[in-house]
Amino acid sequence: MAEIRAEITANVWQVVVDEGQMVAEGDEICILESMKMEIPVVTEVPGVVRELHVAPEQTVQEGDLIAVIDEA
Amino acid sequence: MTGPRSREGGDVHDWGPLVGELAKRKERALGMGGPELVARQHSLGKLTVRERLDLLLDPGTWVEYGMLADHMDAGLGDRYLAADGAVTGIGEIDGRPVAVAAYDFTVMAGSMGKVGEDKIARMRAHALRQRIPMVWLLDSAGARIQSTSGSSFAGAGALFREQVAMSGVVPMVAAMLGHCAAGTAYIPALADFVPMVKGTSSMALGGRHLVKAAVGEDVTEEEMGGSAVHTKVSGVADLEVADDAECLRIVREYLGFFPSHNGERPPVKQTDDPVDRRVEELYGIVPTAPRRAYDVRKVVAAIADDHEVFWMKPEWAKNIVTAFARIGGQPVGVLANQPMVLGGALDVNAADKAARFVWLCDAFNIPLVFLHDVPGFIVGSAVEKQGIIRHGAKMLFAISEATVPKISVVMRKSYGAGYFVMNGLAYEADYIVAWPTAEIAVMGPDGAVNIIHRKTLAAIEDEDERAQKRLELAEEIRRNIDPYVAAGHAQLDDVIDPADTRLAIARGLRISADKRVDRPARKHGVLPV
Repeated sequence: MAEIRAEITANVWQVVVDEGQMVAEGDEICILESMKMEIPVVTEVPGVVRELHVAPEQTVQEGDLIAVIDEA
Repeated sequence: MTGPRSREGGDVHDWGPLVGELAKRKERALGMGGPELVARQHSLGKLTVRERLDLLLDPGTWVEYGMLADHMDAGLGDRYLAADGAVTGIGEIDGRPVAVAAYDFTVMAGSMGKVGEDKIARMRAHALRQRIPMVWLLDSAGARIQSTSGSSFAGAGALFREQVAMSGVVPMVAAMLGHCAAGTAYIPALADFVPMVKGTSSMALGGRHLVKAAVGEDVTEEEMGGSAVHTKVSGVADLEVADDAECLRIVREYLGFFPSHNGERPPVKQTDDPVDRRVEELYGIVPTAPRRAYDVRKVVAAIADDHEVFWMKPEWAKNIVTAFARIGGQPVGVLANQPMVLGGALDVNAADKAARFVWLCDAFNIPLVFLHDVPGFIVGSAVEKQGIIRHGAKMLFAISEATVPKISVVMRKSYGAGYFVMNGLAYEADYIVAWPTAEIAVMGPDGAVNIIHRKTLAAIEDEDERAQKRLELAEEIRRNIDPYVAAGHAQLDDVIDPADTRLAIARGLRISADKRVDRPARKHGVLPV
């Protein structure tokens, strides 16, 4: 299990994946919006998206859990 | 051959046994800690100190100092410690001499003994006197506690003070090739460049056993101070490498960007890559949509001679990219904001990484190239608690102090203090140009509109109407954030086609090659850290 956490305080702009979806290393999980920029959040491991903890329009703090990936 | 006989009846030119004895002693020293410990060193995936020297240096250039050293410590009895566990001497890298201190783990775990440390002190003195780089190959358990656990420690520590005196005078490289604790962890901390071998090297102020005894924590060397910790989390090391051979090759490559000392210019490397090469792939790499991210490392590689780039701390504070490259053969230090990470916004670690890189380049006359795409420093309570103001000030300090040629290319946005620390016009930029996509302002229009027109917007009750008004007002502000406005004020030296970026940098370097800046005399500034 690999946890993906927010690296910056931000608004969630888009969630790109669904729970249960297969992802490859480097795939986008969601796109945050902060400091006037679109900030893609990518997975560093391939696997299945087991948990998704964010939805569009929501605010995340630095360190908040975004997703859990079940490593393939 | 038999010469004349002496009165005692012996040969008066009887050199054979003497030369034989010398050869025997040298062979014993070259045997290091003996076949068993050499085999163990290899079984750990490590090379021996002698094999490492062969890979580090040009063949046939090694001049060893103190090969016949031993511990000379009555407390250790008649035990033999080859070279006292520290191999020292002068060799060449690309035909230029470097002083080397290489710890031998097969000899009492490479522990720091009195004689070995005297030898290394001689290398430090030599490096400083001859003005040549110093390279440490570190594979040492730290202090030889067996010899120094008593109060003779009160006189120790000159090694670090001397290293501080060398800083910025000659390049210093500390290659991490084994588990190093305490003393041998501060050597890299005071060096300029620290590559670490993955899996076999670590550094920590206290080794595993000491940590267990002192704070009760049960951790491995790797967990505490392995390459993953220091190249990704702490930022103490610069690069993670696969094995000893790659590590030594990287040290050679790194020194290729540096002069032998701070009184020289960095060596120019011939290239067939023309400086006026049009870099049209930049159109495909960089989006014109201002909020869209891209990988700035592709921009750096596209601009560099032969697409060759030497990344520094690539896995830490990834929101700013620091790298060595060459333009027209001339080494440069590149700082580029990375929109892929944190939108390129600067945080405490990015400021740390950038400041240190600028100090490193400035110390050794390596010109700086800044590629701007920065929304500013991150704001908010989280970063304030981390002391972002003093870290930001440190980056301002480093950029302001640097007197090497400084070339700036504003690719897209460059806002607020982000513009200053990326070497804005006021920071003695020698040539500052922008792409047509550049936005330079105290802040972006989306932020500015909420401040400038806060009351106007608050007075509108209908939400849709207010949003519409906000867009209109932001657009009004955006019209003034335009490279042609800055160019109109002659605050940009030129607006360029992105494809001509390489040529623009080459011209900037040529123009400022003999740059000279004199500052008021002082001992030193008071550095924000």
